[in-house]
Amino acid sequence: MTALLDRVTAAVGSVHDPEYPGVSIAELGLVEDVAVTGDRASVQMIPTYGGCPALNFIAEDVRTAVTAVPGVEVCDVEWLRSPIWTQDRVAPHVVQFLESEFTVTLRRTDGTLVCPVCGSGTVRDTSPMGPSRCRSLAYCDDCRNPVEVMR
Amino acid sequence: MTRTWSDLDDFQAFIDGGGMVEPNDDMPAPYRDEVFRFIEFHANSELMGGLTERDWIPRAPGVRLKQIFLAKTQDEIGHAHLLYQVAADMGLKTRTEMLEQLFDGRSRFHNVFHYQAVTWADQIAIAYLVDAAAFASQRAVFAECTYGPYKRVLKRIVSEEGFHMRHGEEMLLRLAEGTDTQRSMFQDALTRWWWPAVQLFGPDSDPNDPLLRWKIKSQTNETLRHAYIQKYVPLLQSYGFEIPDDNLRFDAEAEDGKGAWLTTDIDWEPLKATMRQGGPDSRRRISTAAANYADTAWVRSALEPKPVAA
Repeated sequence: MTALLDRVTAAVGSVHDPEYPGVSIAELGLVEDVAVTGDRASVQMIPTYGGCPALNFIAEDVRTAVTAVPGVEVCDVEWLRSPIWTQDRVAPHVVQFLESEFTVTLRRTDGTLVCPVCGSGTVRDTSPMGPSRCRSLAYCDDCRNPVEVMR
Repeated sequence: MTRTWSDLDDFQAFIDGGGMVEPNDDMPAPYRDEVFRFIEFHANSELMGGLTERDWIPRAPGVRLKQIFLAKTQDEIGHAHLLYQVAADMGLKTRTEMLEQLFDGRSRFHNVFHYQAVTWADQIAIAYLVDAAAFASQRAVFAECTYGPYKRVLKRIVSEEGFHMRHGEEMLLRLAEGTDTQRSMFQDALTRWWWPAVQLFGPDSDPNDPLLRWKIKSQTNETLRHAYIQKYVPLLQSYGFEIPDDNLRFDAEAEDGKGAWLTTDIDWEPLKATMRQGGPDSRRRISTAAANYADTAWVRSALEPKPVAA
């Protein structure tokens, strides 16, 4: 049974975020709980933002990955309303990957921003609305690159 | 650190060696001009595209589709925002100048945003066909793209557009598997949008195009257009739709026996008309965008820092 749970958990972990190819939904901290009862798997997840348009695709990808595991017939996916997603759910190595690959950064715990391109601290917020619900816009005055911030 | 180059040959050697240009570099003026113009065109297109999608939020059938169109609109406007920032930073025009020239009808943007979306099926044809063409062309720019800030923004744009294409495919399949009325709605939309989508890639590239030489574009227009036709003709036919081209044929001998879809000779006059703001829906599109800009002047004004009375 535990072996099956491990395989299901691994299958969930293999699903990538549609907007960050190369980053799994588990690494982004979206997966809260995985359980298996008989041939039925259930996956509980937390959205970064409630109105995120990717939720259906993510759920579909999870169902496809999990029902491909031998021994699983059905997979229920549930989006939880609590706990809410916070940025400390993102694995530290993923933060680095987001910075180097996507020029997307996270605010430091003291509220400051560090430029993911040049490492400078002179990053200022430019707009609370980015191209995605979960991101705001900033700009580095040193290397003059626009930066996006997960929020 | 400001890098300089002694002349264009020196700069070309840097580009050919895989160099990436950054905003603080003392880049050659012709490079700055061409790259700026290209990014401004891209920014204008994202903005005009976003406004098109916004029109369909209230008309999208169902809450889920409204949510998708809301999110796509936010994506496109956000992309425009990032691109205008990168463009303005090159120092040739301010963001306000770019916007005012766009709304005055003095700037260019993608041909596809000069046509009218008649029914909901047109919007799906746009999401499926036009987004795919834009995606292919953006991906080809991202592949090399020697201007650093643009390449970094493109990375995110390309990831998000890939996700939009999934929406387009899902919406198309719903119509394709629907009633006869739904299928004929899509066929009509395909007839209207096929050629504008194919023409989005532009006429054959000038072999001396500086954007190719400076590796902003990684492939010629005709290469991208050809690949698009090879992919989408069989896909649309497999869903039972008809490509509006009487001379379309598959030549099994073409490309060393690999075979290729060959189309009729493309009439580029409609594309040229859109570049002069003379497309079928250009005037309405531009005036709607201009009215939107005027209506939101109070927001920009409210965001301006103002001196506080002591």
